[in-house]
Amino acid sequence: MSTCGLAAAGTIEQYFYGELTPADAARVDVHLRECAACRQHVDDLRAIRSALSARARVDAPPAGDWSGFTRRLDSAMPTARTRRTVIPWLAIAATLTLVTAGVFVTSRISRNQPTLQTPPASTSAQEAASAARLPQAVRPATNAGVASVADQSLVRHSEEHFERSKLVVLGLATLDPHQAHAGDWQHERELAGSLLPDTRLYRLAAEDRGMTDLARVLGDLETVLLETSMTDHPDRESLERVQRLIARRDLVVKMNVVGSGI
Amino acid sequence: MNGEYRSAADSDLVARAAAGDGSAFHALVERHRAMVYRVAYQFAGNHHDAEDIAQDVFIKVYRSLERFRYDAQLTSWLYRIVMNACIDHRRRHAPAGWAPFTDDAELKMLNAPEEGPGPEETAYGLQLGEVLEAEIARLPPGQRLVFTMRHHEGLKLSEIADALGLAEGTVKRQLHAAVHRLRAALSASRVTVGGRA
Repeated sequence: MSTCGLAAAGTIEQYFYGELTPADAARVDVHLRECAACRQHVDDLRAIRSALSARARVDAPPAGDWSGFTRRLDSAMPTARTRRTVIPWLAIAATLTLVTAGVFVTSRISRNQPTLQTPPASTSAQEAASAARLPQAVRPATNAGVASVADQSLVRHSEEHFERSKLVVLGLATLDPHQAHAGDWQHERELAGSLLPDTRLYRLAAEDRGMTDLARVLGDLETVLLETSMTDHPDRESLERVQRLIARRDLVVKMNVVGSGI
Repeated sequence: MNGEYRSAADSDLVARAAAGDGSAFHALVERHRAMVYRVAYQFAGNHHDAEDIAQDVFIKVYRSLERFRYDAQLTSWLYRIVMNACIDHRRRHAPAGWAPFTDDAELKMLNAPEEGPGPEETAYGLQLGEVLEAEIARLPPGQRLVFTMRHHEGLKLSEIADALGLAEGTVKRQLHAAVHRLRAALSASRVTVGGRA
């Protein structure tokens, strides 16, 4: 199954599924006249489509009987409804707790920090100050109270996550593609894979809270970790690709900015 | 489903269901359950898990009716919930540390004993469609999901990327990797059938 650069880049699938612009599709048309490997690729995709379209599509339980499904769904719905009525009360309780915590933190800051230059005296205040030190670009909305405390908590956890991830990113950025051993590469891959789920969670949480700049840095980190964990060949090209990704996204600098709160 | 619900737009049904109209919610389920079940079955490969996933999807829909954006297509929103439900389902039933889009997950999938025979062995006595389906079932979950949504459901790569919260390039690579494996299965099948002829 030979291949060419166009196919290796996934362009032939995009062509087959009609996802290229007319101009790019026309260029692939021209290419196909000259490239037997890509023609074979398209033929294979047609064969796959044809073979799969001949298969029965399963879109219902056995014998098309939805009664069991409907019964079980109905029995689950009261729970869902109950939760919907309980959740607002939980939310109110959580809000009250957070507001109380927010007021407490604010009062501690005001009492212990007459000016912003005074070092924070308590752990809570340090956390608040840590968030306050963040650059405007990654600082959450600073409304006192619920959102502020929760956002600061997310920022603090993200900072800690960046610290853990920085080791991997720096390790990748400084590996010499010409001398990297398979063991080094494997180690970085495993670390990247282990950090990926948390990165995704933090990124989604930041997006949910509208902290777009923080979400963007986390998104860049996620892309790098994903690319690293998906690459299993310890070859120079793969490492260089990851390093280009880190450089293009300026990831080390961004993580340092978020981490140090300059 | 009575005529009133049958002719109602998705957005009307969502609004009514969000206001507490249980019949409107049931009408929504009835209208979209086949699509949800189809994707779930493609992903899970069996009725038991497909039903679990489909139930999860509609429970999530029910709980988040208020969050539906009325300027969006309900099907796009549903696809997003289905894809996430597939990943959640797999995560719940996979060993600790499993991630849907890593090669580690791929290796685990390939090494799992219930995966069955490889494409060469499968080719004997089976039609090409069966060989390919068996290979789809062996794809890593992330690749399987991307291939299913692109090939069977016709979603664009950008739509899949948006639903999964991934870069479009990543989705493109996942699709390419899936197609690569299916082509290998196709090729092995041709060799096997040719060898027997």
